[in-house]
Amino acid sequence: MPAQALNRICYVEDDEDIQRIVRMSLERVGKMTVEVVGDPLVAIDRIIAFKPDLVMLDWMMPGMDGPTLYRKMLETPETKSMPVVFITAKASQRELDELRKLGAAGTISKPFSPKDLPEQLRAIWQALP
Amino acid sequence: MNSPSTAAPQVSAAESIDLRQSADPRRILADRVRQLYSQMPLAIVGSFLISAIAAYELREGRFVEIVVFWAGLVVLLTLACAGLYWGYRKSARKIEEAAQWLRWLGISALAIGATWGFAGAVFFPSHADEQQVFLALVISLLVAAGIPIYAVSWPIYAAYAAGILFPFTYVLATFGNKLFAEIALIVPAFYLLNVGIAYRLNGVFDSGFRLRHAYGKLTEDYTALNQRLEQQLVELEEARRQVEASGRKLALFAERSPIAVFEFDPAGRILSANPAAETLFGFSSREMVGRPGTDTLFPSGAKDDIRARWRSLIQSREPVFGLRLSNTRRDGAEITCEWSLTPLVNPENLVISVIVQGRDITQQLEAERMKQEFTSTLSHELRTPLTSIIGSLQLINSGVLGEIEKDTLELTTIAERNGQRLLDLINDILDVEKIESGKLTLFPEVLDLGELVNESLALNRGFADGFKVRLATAGELAQVRVNADRKRLLQVMTNLLSNAAKFSPEGSVVEVTLENIDGGKVRVGVHDCGPGIPEDFRDRIFGRFAQADMSYTRQKGGTGLGLSICKRLLEMMGGRIGFSGREGSGTTFWFELPQQA
Repeated sequence: MPAQALNRICYVEDDEDIQRIVRMSLERVGKMTVEVVGDPLVAIDRIIAFKPDLVMLDWMMPGMDGPTLYRKMLETPETKSMPVVFITAKASQRELDELRKLGAAGTISKPFSPKDLPEQLRAIWQALP
Repeated sequence: MNSPSTAAPQVSAAESIDLRQSADPRRILADRVRQLYSQMPLAIVGSFLISAIAAYELREGRFVEIVVFWAGLVVLLTLACAGLYWGYRKSARKIEEAAQWLRWLGISALAIGATWGFAGAVFFPSHADEQQVFLALVISLLVAAGIPIYAVSWPIYAAYAAGILFPFTYVLATFGNKLFAEIALIVPAFYLLNVGIAYRLNGVFDSGFRLRHAYGKLTEDYTALNQRLEQQLVELEEARRQVEASGRKLALFAERSPIAVFEFDPAGRILSANPAAETLFGFSSREMVGRPGTDTLFPSGAKDDIRARWRSLIQSREPVFGLRLSNTRRDGAEITCEWSLTPLVNPENLVISVIVQGRDITQQLEAERMKQEFTSTLSHELRTPLTSIIGSLQLINSGVLGEIEKDTLELTTIAERNGQRLLDLINDILDVEKIESGKLTLFPEVLDLGELVNESLALNRGFADGFKVRLATAGELAQVRVNADRKRLLQVMTNLLSNAAKFSPEGSVVEVTLENIDGGKVRVGVHDCGPGIPEDFRDRIFGRFAQADMSYTRQKGGTGLGLSICKRLLEMMGGRIGFSGREGSGTTFWFELPQQA
């Protein structure tokens, strides 16, 4: 379990409505600091700049999908050790297992409950080594 | 030059049996006895007539009383012989009792002989010259006539002739006349000569009987053989008819089959093609026959691969099923076919030909792809907006954004609940689709069922609170391990608990039990105090879109798919689901799973 409490979250998501709901949920319910990135192609730079405790990635995005972005993060020294949680509506169990093997911290399936989202993230955070 | 070796027919010594020896001796004896008795009426009548003539001729002597006595004796003997003959004719055991009948016949022959011997011995000395000549002549005649009558059994003849001749010889020898004494010396020689002839005749008769039996046996064997041959011919004809009928049936199957059927030779050339094959590939049967299948039916790029597959098929001689290959039609269109290949192998284990059946699955594959795409789209494109809708409403309704007016809250709560219902429906439909298409994968693990039940109760308490129903376990739940998919088992429990909560009256308790049952199984029961399940709904409760009353859907929510999904999930985990209880007195839904040791 990491020493400090979960506070800084970076969320990469192309759907603006969901961006807003997640931001509200994490800020209002979870009292966290949130950085939302709409374009996955610029995500790495924004993540490096923001220095989050945890990164949330959407699965399907135009330009680059979540798993590809995650593989890019693993290749980038500044981001490769950051815990990553996938938010997905359609991944098959096989794909999820594959990502777990690569080192993803967890998955949250869509639709999630914004009331419970901060709790779910904290549970994943606390389960980290 | 090789000369064909001709195997000479070899008959072993044991096989060449002298059929004359093989006749049954009991039957031969019976035949001899029958032969003897068949001549008996002639002997009786002849003997009686000669006796009558003799008695008449001899009546003029000193001993008339003795002649009368003798005549009486002859009548009695004739009657006795007739009786014997009658007895034999009536006997049902002529074969089994042949020896006994022979003995009686021997006794009767001896008696007849002795009667004549008596006549010779008594009447010869007591009568004059003429009558003596008459007597001697009669006696000689009787001895000679006995040969054809009794020769079938020479000992009987010997007894008969001895009965006649011995007393007479004695009388001749002791008469005191030199000529008579000399005749007495000749008589035994005459006797021996006659017995010798009878003996020879006896042998001839025996051979005759044996031959007759051998012939009878041969005829019997021949008849049996003939019958067997005929039977085999009938069976052969029947078998031929059946083979012909099967052949016709098979030909008809191929002819009318909607599946393309080819026969290939081992080199991969087409030997025949049915009408469905003609339709599928656009070639006539005549155009295809004799051409290599690789040139005709496959795209040019695939030929090497197809040839390699064909070689391995001919080598292995094993049938191949469900082989999906790209094919080309005459018009150049590419199609995908599913093939079954069955090599026909002769007793020498060589492939004679290969039966190849193919089905165009291009459209089926396209339909499958479209269905998958649709499911995937449904899954993603419907869930994403629902995430936004339900998420927004949840945030509003939770109050974290500030106080909301009462009427507004009521409406946003309705919106959230219905959004959730829509989501449930989508999830259920996706589950059903996955189950139906066999794409649902379970991830079983060994887990404590009691713990899982407690977890499910905790997860569903919030939902039950909405109906003012309390969820509880019947005491502490036992620790029972099962091998099951955790997520899916929780889905089953959620389904049963939410159903129970929905249909229970306010303020009541839904009780959950867990017990070990026979057969190494464990049973979880969910007991509610609801209205029970209507009688007419019980049969289809686990069917799809099953709800007792469609108005429930609007009142209580739910998709009507839950229980059918539960049933399939439990079956996939090796368990089963059921319910008990009467209408009006609550219901218990239960499921069983095999216990893990």
